[in-house]
Amino acid sequence: MFRLLAGRFLASLGTLFFVGLVLFALTRAGPGSPARIVLGADATSDQIAQFEQANGLDRPFLEQYVVWLCDVLRGDLGKSFVTGRDVAGEIADALPVTLSIVLFAFAIALVVGLGIGISAALRPGRLFASVTRLGVVLGLSIPAFWLGIVLIRFVAVDLRWLPPGGYAPLSAGLTAHLQTIAMPAISLAVYYIAVLARMTAASLQDALRGDYVRTARAMGLSSPRIVAYALLNALPPVVNLAALSFGYMFGWALIIEQVFNIPGLSRALLNAISQRDFLLLQGIVFLFTAIFVIANLGADLVNRVLDPRQRSAA
Amino acid sequence: MSAPLLKIEELHVGFRGADGIVEAVRGIDFSVASGEVVGIVGESGSGKSLSMLAVMRLLGATARITGGRVVFDGEDLLAASEARMREIRGRDIAMVFQDPQSSLNPALSIGRQVIDVVRAHRPVSTSEARRLAIQALERVGIGEASRRLEAYPHEFSGGMRQRALIAMAIACRPRLLIADEPTTALDVTVQAQIVDLIAELRRDLGLAVIFISHNLQLVAEIVDRVVVMYGGKVVEDGSAADIEHAARHPYTRLLKACVPSLQGPLGPLAAIEGAPPRLGRMPPGCPFAPRCPQAVGVCGREMPALVTDAARRIACWRPQ
Amino acid sequence: MSRLAQLVRTADWTGWLGATIVLVMMGAAVAAPLIAPYDPVAISIEHRLSAPGAEHWLGTDQAGRDVLSRIIYGARASLAVGIGAVIIGALLGVSAGLFAAYAGGLGDQITMRIVDGVASIPLLVWAIAIVGVLGVGPVTIGSLQLPNEVKIVTLVGCLFSPVFARVTYAVAKRIVGADYVKARYLQGASHWQIVLGEVLPNCLSPIIVQATLLVAIGIVIEASISFVGLGVQPPQPSWGTMLSDARNALYSGEWWLPVFPGLAISVTVIGFNLLGDAVRDLFDPRNEARTLVA
Repeated sequence: MFRLLAGRFLASLGTLFFVGLVLFALTRAGPGSPARIVLGADATSDQIAQFEQANGLDRPFLEQYVVWLCDVLRGDLGKSFVTGRDVAGEIADALPVTLSIVLFAFAIALVVGLGIGISAALRPGRLFASVTRLGVVLGLSIPAFWLGIVLIRFVAVDLRWLPPGGYAPLSAGLTAHLQTIAMPAISLAVYYIAVLARMTAASLQDALRGDYVRTARAMGLSSPRIVAYALLNALPPVVNLAALSFGYMFGWALIIEQVFNIPGLSRALLNAISQRDFLLLQGIVFLFTAIFVIANLGADLVNRVLDPRQRSAA
Repeated sequence: MSAPLLKIEELHVGFRGADGIVEAVRGIDFSVASGEVVGIVGESGSGKSLSMLAVMRLLGATARITGGRVVFDGEDLLAASEARMREIRGRDIAMVFQDPQSSLNPALSIGRQVIDVVRAHRPVSTSEARRLAIQALERVGIGEASRRLEAYPHEFSGGMRQRALIAMAIACRPRLLIADEPTTALDVTVQAQIVDLIAELRRDLGLAVIFISHNLQLVAEIVDRVVVMYGGKVVEDGSAADIEHAARHPYTRLLKACVPSLQGPLGPLAAIEGAPPRLGRMPPGCPFAPRCPQAVGVCGREMPALVTDAARRIACWRPQ
Repeated sequence: MSRLAQLVRTADWTGWLGATIVLVMMGAAVAAPLIAPYDPVAISIEHRLSAPGAEHWLGTDQAGRDVLSRIIYGARASLAVGIGAVIIGALLGVSAGLFAAYAGGLGDQITMRIVDGVASIPLLVWAIAIVGVLGVGPVTIGSLQLPNEVKIVTLVGCLFSPVFARVTYAVAKRIVGADYVKARYLQGASHWQIVLGEVLPNCLSPIIVQATLLVAIGIVIEASISFVGLGVQPPQPSWGTMLSDARNALYSGEWWLPVFPGLAISVTVIGFNLLGDAVRDLFDPRNEARTLVA
């Protein structure tokens, strides 16, 4: 187990290193320099040169990269060209916002998705099965950001049940907070509800056909316990999928934030792009990549840990 | 004569097929007395496993009991509620199946699975359940049981897994153990061990045992009586000694002749000509008639009734 | 061919529905100039924001452009990006998977580690970052000027490749170890003959399943990226940009502006998903193609 995990882990590290390099190269290769944006359109070339020197932008590219990498490893993501604040600070302001939406969406997806999947596996009625199949196809196909738009139109504008956008942090009260993250989280969650429901139903149905279920019935175990027996064997692929989903959710959250005008990482990212705020841009993209990598590794780890055969076989 | 522990009368089991019900068990009768070991012998498709699953009411969605009575200790099992059957299963009647590898839950320890069976039927404390589990494992010959409780099925060998399943089966001291081909998936040496174990348990616990097998020689060692099934019907039913030395049904005789002997001159292996009948395509008369070297006209037309003759029953127009 | 016919006959009605939707959408995209009633970029201020009616079946937008025509033309962008990305991803991924499975040893390890590395890159963030940084202008290669979508297609294609690589690798690895392949080798078949003649054909089924499902994902990616302004650039119509423009209409009454483009995306994606599921049931019942999530 550990050898394979170590291999994956090293590959991920390699990714982070390599993509960091690519990101670095692109930001500096692309048109436009932060100097112009920060100093204004009528900055003199002297001022620009001074700015670039002060921020190390005139050094050889590879040197810049290595310096930045060492800084990152020390925990220093640099300072934003535009605001002068720590990049880490900027991210720390925006991250909880995005995180609250992703976490809420993840919780919804898990609870509803697994719930539907388990019900579908336990109730083989044809009507229920058809309805669930239809629901899954719809959930997989309706784009989250469109769902968000439709929800805003009907729930916020027509029915006025929830605010159409914006964000209220927890400090402003739990109700207010939930009101602003409800629709974004639901829009984000629907696709993953479908994905998890489908996998759970298939996996549980498969497990219920196992011979050990027949043994359990023959030994007189109660129905709930038999379902639990089957579920234990059915869960690993579901948990694996859930870990992967968590990673993907972060990406799609960026789009959802734009739909609902939420001041999370998407705003920071888009601002960093338009203002050529390289260090902030790198910091954010690096963060997202790190989260995604960890989610993927977590999914792998889950697979190894949950199956006792794999645990000792390694 | 005291009432039998288990009495099966005219049991019919069928499958729901494309055009109506296809019968796989076509009216079988036999009984098992308390503490008696009965071997059910027959080819694949003879209905032996299916009839026992029906007794336990463990049939899947596609098979159903289409007629008959099953009485266990005076209680009609076919009329019992599912909740009542859950009480009976594992506690009064226990069943072990053919493939020990897949019959154990790979995600749980052996101990957990045995304990769960105990706690399903007896309201005991965790520590008491644990003690009973250890006791059961030791009884089936699994040494160092308290350490082995934590082990997972994949850490056991095939024979030990089957022992663990038997431990689960006898943990609550059932009156009847149904063993459906318990040794078929095991090595030959291990087969003998499991058979011996079952014999031992029968002695120590006063268990009645139904031992299903396609191997007549294997069951002959430990059974008191042999029931031979073919084509969904009982064709012969006699004491082990009778079947061993004086089998009367042509099928039983041919079965015995199939076992090659290590003594005597070498010769071609004996086999029974033809193939077992297919479900839904049963001949109108005796199911064995197409393959029977003794068959005459009436055999193909009319089903012979099961006739009692001394301590034996036989369904044949021309018993040998 | 008769096996194919037999399989087709047993297909579920949902598969046929999916196939129909896909064909209609692709037909619309290809035949856009012929079937679109109006020029999709033609501005007509006096007709702006008209509700669906006899003249404009799906209404007009803020600039008076016919929604139906824009939707028909928008299919081009979505399908081009979706299918283009899948083609690039398949070319890269299948090659990598075949190479790794056949080469074995160090080549296998290195290739699959690289695949793992690429698979660790979060698609959407990187698409946004890269296009954002490079700018949304056209791509100039020599004398050729390609629209902004090319960046998206290439990037998404590269990021789709690990899926194909892993699926191909899983199947190919099994086949490469099979005795009949070794026998072919001993008979004197060249490496290329074995890879293309024995290994690849067996991988095709799960690859096709995966490809169909990935097109669906690619379409949503294109719409999302265009929605935030980094995809298809105006005045070219794209379902994503149409939705972005429609946000202003959320508070006023023009319901047709957010509804129809979104429906277009949903229906097209449903089509590809249903088709992909049907193809999977037919060709890949053992599910060599892994469950896809994005």
